[in-house]
Amino acid sequence: MPVEALSRNNVRVSGRGTQPMLFAHGFGCDQNMWRFVAPAFEDDYQVVLFDYVGSGKSDLSAYDPRRYATLDGYAQDVLDVVHALDLRDVVLVAHSVSSMVAVLAANREPERFERLVLIGPSPRYVNDPPYVGGFERADIDGLLEMMEHNYIGWAGFLAPAIMKNPDRPELGEELTESFCSTDPVISRRFAEATFLSDNRDDLPRVRVPALILQCSDDMVAPTEVGEYVHGQMPGSTFRQMNATGHCPHMSHPEETIELIREYLQPAHAA
Amino acid sequence: MSEAVGAPARALDPLLDHAPAGFLSFADDGTITLANATLAEMLGYAPGELVGRRLDTVLTTGARLFWQTHFFPLIRMHGRADEVFLVLRGAGGGDVAVLANAVRRERAGAWANDCVVVQVRERRKFEEALLAARKEAERARAQAEEHAEELRAANEQLEEQAVELELSQEQLREQATELEMQADHLRALNDELTERGIELERQRAAADDANRAKSSFLAVMSHELRTPLNAIAGYVQLMEMGIHGPVTDAQREALDRIGRSQKHLLRLINDVLNLARIESGRVEYMLEDVELGGLMADVTPMVEPQMLSKGLALEMEIPPRTVARADREKVQQIVINLLSNALKFTPPGGRVRVDAGRAGPGVVWLSVADTGIGIPPEKQVSVFDPFVQVDMSSTRRSEGSGLGLAISRDLARGMGGDLSVASTLGAGSTFTLTLPAES
Repeated sequence: MPVEALSRNNVRVSGRGTQPMLFAHGFGCDQNMWRFVAPAFEDDYQVVLFDYVGSGKSDLSAYDPRRYATLDGYAQDVLDVVHALDLRDVVLVAHSVSSMVAVLAANREPERFERLVLIGPSPRYVNDPPYVGGFERADIDGLLEMMEHNYIGWAGFLAPAIMKNPDRPELGEELTESFCSTDPVISRRFAEATFLSDNRDDLPRVRVPALILQCSDDMVAPTEVGEYVHGQMPGSTFRQMNATGHCPHMSHPEETIELIREYLQPAHAA
Repeated sequence: MSEAVGAPARALDPLLDHAPAGFLSFADDGTITLANATLAEMLGYAPGELVGRRLDTVLTTGARLFWQTHFFPLIRMHGRADEVFLVLRGAGGGDVAVLANAVRRERAGAWANDCVVVQVRERRKFEEALLAARKEAERARAQAEEHAEELRAANEQLEEQAVELELSQEQLREQATELEMQADHLRALNDELTERGIELERQRAAADDANRAKSSFLAVMSHELRTPLNAIAGYVQLMEMGIHGPVTDAQREALDRIGRSQKHLLRLINDVLNLARIESGRVEYMLEDVELGGLMADVTPMVEPQMLSKGLALEMEIPPRTVARADREKVQQIVINLLSNALKFTPPGGRVRVDAGRAGPGVVWLSVADTGIGIPPEKQVSVFDPFVQVDMSSTRRSEGSGLGLAISRDLARGMGGDLSVASTLGAGSTFTLTLPAES
């Protein structure tokens, strides 16, 4: 069993239930983004949180640019955690880019998963007429440029220097706390893997039942994208949220919790 | 947790309204609740025009993504964000690069996110230059890595080739060693062959010496033996003639035996002497044109009586003008020898046949065939060796030294011809003499 994944992915397990509920964070942050939602399920589930390699408090030394050049590497992270804890009948709650990571993981080992909860999923962010992804390639380039600018000021130069200062480890801690994505270079690559991916072909192959949570006014994953995902995934449930933006679990945790509970209830009751 | 609700727009402190930095406050749902005149001017809006709009309207698409994925989670989780670079969208569509500091605080029962925005026109230029330089450096580093990789690969290839070369060299060395060994072996063989050659030469010289000594010895011995033998013959004749008194019948018979033995011994010695002469190359040949028919006419009377007395038929067929270039006397000697042999080894009632003819350009032949006992195949090659007779039992029966055929062949060869035999055991033998034809 690849128990190395437990420390590598900074895995945290809590809750009093037996069925595992695995939360996969989205791009730009770490497992902390679940802190308004995950505790709500601790009574009924075994809550498992983790950070992708390169995010949060994961083991940065385990970062392999080739492995994480595509979402497959991140899907492997999910499966590694599942194997490390030998999780079965997993309810995988995935945000944003993690939705496609979840699709890939579920397609590879469907027997491990009972349900998928996909929050703001998008199989492709760039428009590809007639497909509407919501962005032009130039928009993604703008994002990447902005990320570079944000890192050039401080993280790009300071972070590695501080990280390498063994006398003052608290500086590294502080830096980790101050920004979700730890390493600017990794974050930049994650952005490319995320926003330039195309997983449309993977959707029809999903055999695990899924809930699609679609925010209103989500400019990262517009409603038509959510509807497209629902249309392509057999056995999926689509719920339009009142929550606006792209991070309902942070901006509207109550509604998010409620919809997930509602979706899991029949399965749970059965 | 109380969710943000749009706070009512309110008038800003005039000081803040005209501060040298943009200021805006927005609710959690993204509605701008406050914006100072400086920010409005920065973005090309009229004062107060921004309030009530959504934050998205003043963000470029990239900035909106960044806002959603980074800025919002950050401010939501940590309550603040420091020095975040954003590209805002002006009223005319132009980009305005800014640095934003944000604080999230509860105000009048709702969450308000207050931002200070500083335009970074100059700084952006520097940053872009820096970014370009960094990208260039990264590209260079990537290229260097690629080159290093190529070099490593080339190096590995070279190392592999070096190993291969080393192996080939090793093989070549082994082959060279092997060749060297073979050369040594060949040299040794050559030395051995040279030595053997020298030895053979030495042996040949020794054999020649021995042969010459033997011939010389035989010549001397023959001479020394013939003298007393001739004396024996003389004394026998004297006694037979009764010069030393009357000879009884028994004494006459003894003298006759002595005489026959003496003749036999003398013939043997003559043969040995002849052979020795021939072998030592001391025989001289008087070559002339010899007409074989005529030669046979001279020879036949010498053997015919014995043939007739033994009950043998002698047939002869020699085409006219069959002429050899040879020593007449020696050819006669050979033919007599052949006829004597035929006579000797053919039982009574048999036939002896003489044929002759031309065989090809410059060669004549003469054969003597009999219907005698024949020679076994394994003996046919040695029949011309000195002191060899076909059958030991017949040696005793037949008189002869066993030198006749050896001498005959040597004589034939001495004249540029040869003597050969073909025979079937129990059916007879055919001896064929070849000689050069007339000139």
